[in-house]
Amino acid sequence: MSGASLRETVRSARAISVRNLRGIVRLPSAFMPALMMPIFTMIAFAGTFAAITKLPGFPTDRSVNWFMPLGICFGSAFSGIGQGFSAIRDIQTGFYDRLRMSPAPRASIILGALLASWFRALLLNLVVVPVGVLLGVRFTGGLLGILTLLAASLGTATMALGWGLGLAYRFRDMRAAAVMQLTMFVVLYLSSAQMPLALISGWLHAVARINPMTNILRLAREGLVTSASGGNVAWANTWGGLVAIVALSALTLTFAWRSLDRLSR
Amino acid sequence: MSGHPVQAPIVAEQLVRTFGDLRAVDGIDMTVDAGEIFGFLGPNGAGKSTAVRMLTTLLRPTSGRAIVAGFDVATHPDEVRRRIGVALQDAAIDPLMTGNELLRLQAVLYGIPSGKVKSRAAELLERVGLTAAADRRVGTYSGGMRRRLDLALSLIHEPTVLFLDEPTTGLDPMSRMTLWEEVRRLNREGTTVLLTTQYLEEADQLADRIAIIDKGRIVREGRPRDLKAEVGSPTLLVAVPREQADAARAVLQEFGESRPTAEGTLGVGLRDGARAVTDVVRRLDEAGVRLQHLEINEPSLDDVFAEATGHRLEGE
Repeated sequence: MSGASLRETVRSARAISVRNLRGIVRLPSAFMPALMMPIFTMIAFAGTFAAITKLPGFPTDRSVNWFMPLGICFGSAFSGIGQGFSAIRDIQTGFYDRLRMSPAPRASIILGALLASWFRALLLNLVVVPVGVLLGVRFTGGLLGILTLLAASLGTATMALGWGLGLAYRFRDMRAAAVMQLTMFVVLYLSSAQMPLALISGWLHAVARINPMTNILRLAREGLVTSASGGNVAWANTWGGLVAIVALSALTLTFAWRSLDRLSR
Repeated sequence: MSGHPVQAPIVAEQLVRTFGDLRAVDGIDMTVDAGEIFGFLGPNGAGKSTAVRMLTTLLRPTSGRAIVAGFDVATHPDEVRRRIGVALQDAAIDPLMTGNELLRLQAVLYGIPSGKVKSRAAELLERVGLTAAADRRVGTYSGGMRRRLDLALSLIHEPTVLFLDEPTTGLDPMSRMTLWEEVRRLNREGTTVLLTTQYLEEADQLADRIAIIDKGRIVREGRPRDLKAEVGSPTLLVAVPREQADAARAVLQEFGESRPTAEGTLGVGLRDGARAVTDVVRRLDEAGVRLQHLEINEPSLDDVFAEATGHRLEGE
């Protein structure tokens, strides 16, 4: 890609993302559930399973430390597939035709949605983390721990975005939304979402062990638990999550890219 | 031919688009000359919009070829996109955005330099009479305002070829006239226009040449007045009581070929022209047929359409 083409891609992507983000201000009712769900998840799980910390081998003494990263990853996934919902709406209203008829690089359509989903995920972190701190969250991993949480959050948003857009382009209607949500819940909850892997048994353990989301949640929680590294962020607990994010993001974004092309077929 | 500019801004050769077993566009051949307003006339589902979607790069042809603004739509879609403006059937505009914001977004997507975005948006808003509503959300616009904004959006990069897909469907007469005037103005300024319409009057008023499309095929093509002249004789329409329809039909056959009409009326192309009307009335009276309504129409595009397709566009 030439320099001029890259500049054109970024400029168009920025304009598309600004259009998308304007909806947060102009239609807050559509964004509020995505913001409230992670807070609700964190509060409900941390409260309901407060005694979980007493289990032998549980890596933190604060249940909210365990469940806040889950809430953030959950909300970030919604930030990503939310762009898939928007794409369905835009395809159905014809707005996507406007984007596709323009000479703007095709990549800017996906990049614009990606920037918007990252912004929404960042906004989510800015709201959920302070609420978590008020509820007793303590970052044992310091600044690096905040960064690993952020990396997991943005990574989850990216993977979900690619998946959401790809499905939206394939189905072109609300059937895609149902598949997006179902798969998101399945992938998220058949992992170490609720329990550390060591405390899960049976088939769920087998599934959670190979589910890349387990690695991503480990990355998200690394700055909030004290298990392997005694409170410090350890490479051994982060690389798996980072690899999972890179690999799954590449896969889902490729799926979105190829599916975008199918809109013309 | 792909990649090399050709003189005619729009050329289609055996253009076909299928959806499963359905041949939505079934081998269209057409050439639109520079500076023309070319009308695609046909009922809903005739294949007009599918053809336009292929010509504007939104849909790949199943077979055949289309050259738009000098470039093949299949192999050089980006070059085509840079040169054409498109306003599709349903004005696809985000109701949460203002007219100004939409124009600025469109300007960025079409690579208008940052320094010119604001002035270009203002110029177009002025042109379509939306300056006062520029900062209002589009959701509050009337149908006519939306169409005018859509037209402004399609002009942001000063295209040489403009596609208007049913630009006035659903508009009130006043809004329709305003849009027609703007299309004429654009054409006077040198823009080639391809418009699809299901309104006979629109095609008659605006188009230099029209193609009548039915079931995915072009069944007639030419200048409206030439097409009407080909039909020749005026059409006499009569309404009679249902029980006398057969008797009336028999009388009418003496004066010319029957013509398709809306249900409840009978039509005949008068072989000897309008002067035969008195004879028709006399013969119907002699046959005991009671006339409820009688009307004579000079050949219209609807007659052209009826002759070409066997059914009428009006009343569908």
